[in-house]
Amino acid sequence: MKFSVFQLSRIGGRQNNEDRMGYCYTRESGLFVLADGMGGHPQGEVAAQLALETVSALYQKEAKPILRDPAQFLSNALLAAHLQINRYATRKAMLDTPRTTLVAAVVQGNSATCVHCGDSRLYLVREGQLLMRTRDHSFIEQRNAGLTRIEHLNRNILFSCLGSTAKPVFDLTGPIKLMQGDKLLLCSDGLWGSLSDDEIVLQLAGKPVSDAVPDMVESALRVAGDTSDNVTVLAIEWETPDIFESSQVIIADSMLDGEFASTIQTGLLDTKTDDLDEASIERSIAEINEAIRRSGTKKV
Amino acid sequence: MSKVKPSSLPPDTLIGGYRVVRKLSAGGFGVVYLAVDTEGQQFAIKEYLPSSLSSRAVGALLPQVLPEKLSLYRLGLKSFFEEGRSLAQISHGSVVSVLNFFRENETVYMVMNYLEGGTLQDFVITARDLKKQKVFRESTIRSLYDEILRGLRIVHQHKMLHLDIKPANIFITDDNRAVLIDFGAAREVLSKEGNFIRPMYTPGFAAPEMYRRDSSMGPWTDIYAIGACIYASMQGYPPNDAPQRLEKDRLSLALSRLRGIYSDNLIEVVEWCMALDPLSRPQSVFSLQKELSRENERSYTKLTVGEKVRLQFDTVVSDTKKTARKASALATRFK
Repeated sequence: MKFSVFQLSRIGGRQNNEDRMGYCYTRESGLFVLADGMGGHPQGEVAAQLALETVSALYQKEAKPILRDPAQFLSNALLAAHLQINRYATRKAMLDTPRTTLVAAVVQGNSATCVHCGDSRLYLVREGQLLMRTRDHSFIEQRNAGLTRIEHLNRNILFSCLGSTAKPVFDLTGPIKLMQGDKLLLCSDGLWGSLSDDEIVLQLAGKPVSDAVPDMVESALRVAGDTSDNVTVLAIEWETPDIFESSQVIIADSMLDGEFASTIQTGLLDTKTDDLDEASIERSIAEINEAIRRSGTKKV
Repeated sequence: MSKVKPSSLPPDTLIGGYRVVRKLSAGGFGVVYLAVDTEGQQFAIKEYLPSSLSSRAVGALLPQVLPEKLSLYRLGLKSFFEEGRSLAQISHGSVVSVLNFFRENETVYMVMNYLEGGTLQDFVITARDLKKQKVFRESTIRSLYDEILRGLRIVHQHKMLHLDIKPANIFITDDNRAVLIDFGAAREVLSKEGNFIRPMYTPGFAAPEMYRRDSSMGPWTDIYAIGACIYASMQGYPPNDAPQRLEKDRLSLALSRLRGIYSDNLIEVVEWCMALDPLSRPQSVFSLQKELSRENERSYTKLTVGEKVRLQFDTVVSDTKKTARKASALATRFK
């Protein structure tokens, strides 16, 4: 498996950056995640961080080295993240729960599968054309799709997210067969709120991701001006034919069995909170037994 | 109000396919059992059951955790995992090995190989009570610590520190292997969070930086403890603790009593390992190993008359001090 990846997050004109992004991969599978902690509720950045950590932790547990069923994994992981956020709010006795959007894509065996909840998006671009993009769980997108007929809508109002008291509504997309040179882009509304789909596609198609991402983020910040929302973008190019110098080119084939790499820092789950949920206890035990097995075989 | 210790599992309890034979030991972190698997092979199983945070009724299986202690309990559990994770990576004859890790009774268990023998502490005490001039022979000390250091080197290679090396944590098996047991990494994490269970160091064996809990800990911290263990193996008693030494260092004086009994080189090694300044100690196990395995002809320096007098004087003074303290203690009692 080989791909180029580039990710960038900028705070814009806000006090905090409540967006979180990251990716992890094994020899034969990759996970890309982005979450946008929601304003209007407390600790959006915590919700986003918890979502990332939960999804990546589950991924690490299950991608050995591939996920058996990416769609199943993504829906489970999304719900686990939702529960994790609620649990956090309960433990902290919060009056209102932290909330976040989530978009996550798994790429393995030449196909991509994606889950999303809220208004963080995934774009898939092939040969300069937009092949697909996710539909936000916002009333305005429902109206655009002819599902709602309310006149004045705030684009920011979502009807689904992670962390709320209601079970999240989410959509699975794929699996979509990928072709060499396909580009996947995950972004928060800071990007698409300022740039049109056409602009995003244009930028993404014309340059290597290591140039396209910073350029896009920069133009989004410029368009939005001083009050810009956080802008976060993660893009990958599948089976990159050429090595682009400044982007991170991942050639996972050389990885060992069981090897795992991640850009997602597990700060929250591990240090700040004492939250060892069932899944992470099981995971720790599995990891230890795996290590025992490995060092045992070394000895023989 | 004294806290009742959680009760250990009774013999014949089945846990994770093992049958408990008896309790081997209990510490702040939990209980260690001797257990057998279905084929009758013996194992030591450590149960996570922190005595200050949990309770268990006699005959019960599930421990109860006080709600207000739950977060510390979970934190401790993480440390227990850390210990397991650390040990799982290492497969070396001089480091206790973890064979399995499982969950049951709402807690976790670490299965280790069962070692038959005794701790170095037991041996030191036995040897000391024989009242011979030497507690251990020098060649015994050299080969024993060579073995321990091989294990410790692997531990350090895995970017871990033991942080509680002491004779009680060095196990001598019946087939004469020395094995490092009871990995303190777990305790280390806990102590950072404060207020947990018990002091996280053993006086006499803990380097000065352990008391400070700052970032200056490193391989040299374990090396201090090794020096202190060698000291105890020569002297029969642990050395003064680091705070005492910082106030008034009598290490050289105490070691000079061993001159002529143990080689100058071995005495120097102990002084080197136990330097109060971390930077003055061997910085790696390897450099210590090199020094310890030097096969040069050993030279012994007898004490000079002056030194003998000073030693004697020192004994007299400390005896007088003791007598004086006793006397004043008596005096206060009679007031």
